[in-house]
Amino acid sequence: MRAGGEGTPPPVVITPDLTLPKLLRRTARHYGDRKVAMREKDYGIWRQITWREYSEHVRHIALGFVALGLGRGDKVALVGHNRPEGLWAEMATLCVGGVAVWLYQDCLIDEVQYIVEHSDARLLVGEGQEEVDKALAVADRCPKLERILWDDPKGMRGYTDPRLLSLAEVEHLGRELDAREPGRFETLVDAGRGQDTALLFYTSGTTARPKGALLSHTNMLKMGQNLMAVDPCTARDDFVSFLPFAWIGEQMMSISCGLQAGFTINFPEAPETVQQNIREIGPQVLFSPPRIYEQMVRSVQAKILDAPPLKRRAYRWGLDVGHRVADCQFGRRSVPPALRLARWLADWLVLRKLRDHLGLARVQHAYTGGAALGPDHLRFFHAIGVNLKQIYGQTEIAGISVVHRDGDIKFDTVGRPIPETELRIAADGEILSRSPCVFQGYYKMPAETAWTLKDGWLHSGDIGFFDEDGHLVVFDRRSDVMTLGDGTRFSPQYIETRLKFSPYLKDGWIVGHGRPFVSAVVCIDAVVVGRWAEDQHLAYTSYVELSQKPEVYALVAGAIRQVNRSLPAPARIRKLVNLHKEFDADDEELTRTRKLRRAFLEERYQEILAAIYSDSTEVHMDTTVTYEDGRVARTRTALRIMPIEDS
Amino acid sequence: MAYLPCGVYHERYRQEHAWWQTRFVRAKMGLLAALLLVFPLTTNPYLVSVANIVGYTILSALGVQLLIGVCGQITLGHAAFIAVGGYATAIGMLQYGLPYPVSLLVGAVLAGLWSVLFGLPSARVKGFYLIMTTMAAQFVTVDFIITQYVSRIGGRGHYFSLPPGTVTIGPWVIDSDLKAYYLMIALVVGSIAALANLLRTRVGRAWVAIRDNDIAAQTMGVNIVRYKLLAFFVAGVLGGIAGAFWISSLYFVSPEHFTLGWSLWLVGVVLIGGIGSLQGVVFGSLFVTLTLEALGFAVSGLRDLFPTLPDKFLYVKEGAFGLAIVFFLLYEPRGLAYRWQQMKNYFNLWPFAY
Repeated sequence: MRAGGEGTPPPVVITPDLTLPKLLRRTARHYGDRKVAMREKDYGIWRQITWREYSEHVRHIALGFVALGLGRGDKVALVGHNRPEGLWAEMATLCVGGVAVWLYQDCLIDEVQYIVEHSDARLLVGEGQEEVDKALAVADRCPKLERILWDDPKGMRGYTDPRLLSLAEVEHLGRELDAREPGRFETLVDAGRGQDTALLFYTSGTTARPKGALLSHTNMLKMGQNLMAVDPCTARDDFVSFLPFAWIGEQMMSISCGLQAGFTINFPEAPETVQQNIREIGPQVLFSPPRIYEQMVRSVQAKILDAPPLKRRAYRWGLDVGHRVADCQFGRRSVPPALRLARWLADWLVLRKLRDHLGLARVQHAYTGGAALGPDHLRFFHAIGVNLKQIYGQTEIAGISVVHRDGDIKFDTVGRPIPETELRIAADGEILSRSPCVFQGYYKMPAETAWTLKDGWLHSGDIGFFDEDGHLVVFDRRSDVMTLGDGTRFSPQYIETRLKFSPYLKDGWIVGHGRPFVSAVVCIDAVVVGRWAEDQHLAYTSYVELSQKPEVYALVAGAIRQVNRSLPAPARIRKLVNLHKEFDADDEELTRTRKLRRAFLEERYQEILAAIYSDSTEVHMDTTVTYEDGRVARTRTALRIMPIEDS
Repeated sequence: MAYLPCGVYHERYRQEHAWWQTRFVRAKMGLLAALLLVFPLTTNPYLVSVANIVGYTILSALGVQLLIGVCGQITLGHAAFIAVGGYATAIGMLQYGLPYPVSLLVGAVLAGLWSVLFGLPSARVKGFYLIMTTMAAQFVTVDFIITQYVSRIGGRGHYFSLPPGTVTIGPWVIDSDLKAYYLMIALVVGSIAALANLLRTRVGRAWVAIRDNDIAAQTMGVNIVRYKLLAFFVAGVLGGIAGAFWISSLYFVSPEHFTLGWSLWLVGVVLIGGIGSLQGVVFGSLFVTLTLEALGFAVSGLRDLFPTLPDKFLYVKEGAFGLAIVFFLLYEPRGLAYRWQQMKNYFNLWPFAY
């Protein structure tokens, strides 16, 4: 069923001349029509696009861009769901010598405007009507934006703006140019150098305005090579591309590793079908931020709550055996024969089925990165037999500098540096790194660049240390580390990830810096808690009402006591507030990669904080909700504050 | 939609349409095939004859399932078409000296055409009225035409004698239950495969549309008269094949083999197996036939205690069948096929409940 690779191409040697388009040309020439480069699920089947078709599309779009006047160093903004056309447009930009700027698909109009304006993008390639609408809304305020391209014709019939052009027309322009000047494309690709800027990433920015990190071709290529030196991917592997292209991790897999290993990239049918599509493909490689894995664990935990007793007991037993084996491996102890036998049985009875349900049946390497994953989550995946590893890195170092090695995984570390990467801890505990992947600087922000990049060392802003095995332990963002009442330093992120292992909690926000005690503001998971409430015959009409039920408070308090038991006394959570809404990136409470924006939260919810640290038992919230189209709604709610005693 | 394990995906529609998509299913079906082929060699002749009855019931009930379960046309006269197939095959061999396979085809087509004739009223009537017209098929065909005229063809008195050696396929003489068994397997597998594939074509979808709502189907452009008659034709052909098979394991054909009781019995088989499901036909036939045989054993075992029981067995049998249908309608209204699906789901979803 899988398109077989006709032999792997010779290994890639990264010379200063090599660029991503040159690599694409090489790989496409090697495989031609004999191997599938990408698949897209459309009308129920996975339609194939061979390497030749891939490079043909890129060639024509690139020449079309040239016909539209795009030159070397020009920026092209890209926005849309993961789809082949998105990747073609990106590669086409790189072929011309331009710089690709990806925007998050769910960006608000203000963010779109900021990025398009700041990056000086001349073209914007959107997916369909939604992106075109956003682009048209900002086009008048972004004078440098010349053309808006789209590829999905749905709903585009009535648009007559002269700046609009479909990608098919661009390809047509490209074909005409190709016929007139057959050597033009090759000349363009040959002109590229490794040091040319390839991608401009706007970092999500937990604190301030997004900063644009410039990454060169060599940065991207080296990163892929060094990651695959640790965990080789093969040309026969399948990869599912479902995370935003604006996230470095997705570029890392689709571009850096994808071109070098030549594996097949699979695009899901729609954002709603991602989970199902992953299960169909059964990828060998998976790289996601923690939220995807948290979601998997939560779905398993929630579904098992509804399973009949026999199945539940089988699950408990199987998972318990899995956990014991995983703990042996984490502790580098050998697994006793009896346990080994039990593990084999558990695998057949439960674990194999669990992996199958989660779509992880064929996973060789699963990575998590971009934020911290809780130790309980990591243990869970190793218990069910998934080789999940932490990756640590920043966009500024092309995404990755540290990773776990097979068989050398510790759940509180992020592993050891990848080849060609130097790491050291500054005197104040900050993690510094140096490698060929370190970025070229922030676009139009020399002060920030100088601040982050000193003597070639990238200053991460994270606090960490090396443990006795040479593993890097990342404590937290320097700005986030809490000083507790007794003067000890503690990581709020650590407590938050522990909280999120409860299926009932979707997000948690820990406060306590410079305060007498630690408190938690949590968002319940509407689906799981809703089902639980149904079983308890609790009537509710909305998330707000559900979150404020005394029974739900008791449920959440139980989960918090569980976490409290494993925390040192000063770090234990003493007060709890169930928030009346989930944190949302549209409300700027989270970054687009779902990291908490603490400074913003503290400002937004200062009434709650004030109430927690006074003696009130209730706080009245007056909040605004921003919708994606810019509308704003106001709500008023009373939130209860619940003290938590040790059990 | 069928449950597929992780890592099975389709790049072409042909792959998606494949019946057996995973190694597990292919191995399972291979095992089943091997079992079916080896089974009669390892067991006693009695069980082989029971298997032949199961096979005959499956072949007979397939047409009923098509009419009732797929196309929604209630029929109580299916034995008539089986009779047409059986008699046509016998006459073809005895009177015209045709080889068995040719007579089988002729019988099947004749049965199909005969079925279309009695399906004509379905263009105008449905429900209870259709039950009456199909029962008319039973009485007109079996009790009148066959008994009064066809049975007397060639100066015969009442039944057609089929001496051993009559039924041959080329050099292969079907003169034992064992040989009839293999013929049965070929016919059952062939018929089920043909019908299963037919059901997922345009024709099959039209039938289902007519079953679910004939007015809506007509609005959607389905020519319901044509498709209903087509359903009657295919059901008749399947009935004809059943009849043609049945005479291969008999020494004579007589109208008593094709009573109204058999028509009713087949409806019961479909109900127990599960309406609308081909698997249900197999399950229902197995269940009904095996239960009866088991009852027979139980009765002979109890002979010492109740000496009059064997005489009354016929009525116990009918009673048990009636009771079984009542229980199924009460506790398993969707039949054995649905239960089978539920069992598969239980393990497919393991360790979750949904």
